[in-house]
Amino acid sequence: MAEIVVGLATGWATLLLFGGGLLLLRAPDTLHRVLALDVLVAIVIILLTTLSYLRDVSYYIDAALALALLALTSTLVAARYVTRGGPF
Amino acid sequence: MVLDIAGAVLLALGLLLATIGLYGLLRMPDIFHQLHPAGLITGPAVMLVLLASVATGSGEIITSAALVILFVLITSPLSSHAIAQAARRRPRRTRE
Repeated sequence: MAEIVVGLATGWATLLLFGGGLLLLRAPDTLHRVLALDVLVAIVIILLTTLSYLRDVSYYIDAALALALLALTSTLVAARYVTRGGPF
Repeated sequence: MVLDIAGAVLLALGLLLATIGLYGLLRMPDIFHQLHPAGLITGPAVMLVLLASVATGSGEIITSAALVILFVLITSPLSSHAIAQAARRRPRRTRE
């Protein structure tokens, strides 16, 4: 893939990260914050993937996989916490 | 050459979907409205960006990306559903 395309994609993903941070700052409620953090993790996965294409290294995508696993667990636990007032 | 163009198109499409989703997420008022563009970002946008790995031609990157695509395919609706269920079941405030 052309170097400049991947570079532009990485820059755009960084801008999206700022948008996700704005979303997190504007969240009025716990559940909105959980949703904003879920979206932020998705944007970080996109950023790590484009970084992996840019540097031609596969380890970044493995890090993205671990991050996705962690995000699933934290989202499930936080949603349950909001519903029942406790994590379990 | 064809793979290069396909990878660039997939990457651009994924980032476009993520941008549209983020814009919708910033505009929608309610959590149930917000879940729709959030599902757009966490599902298809991530998968399209990961599908662009076919253009790199590296076996390691393509294998890792396929694993992440499988994982995202399973877990993205799961977390979205958990948030929606929590929003529906949470105790109402007295003011609203």
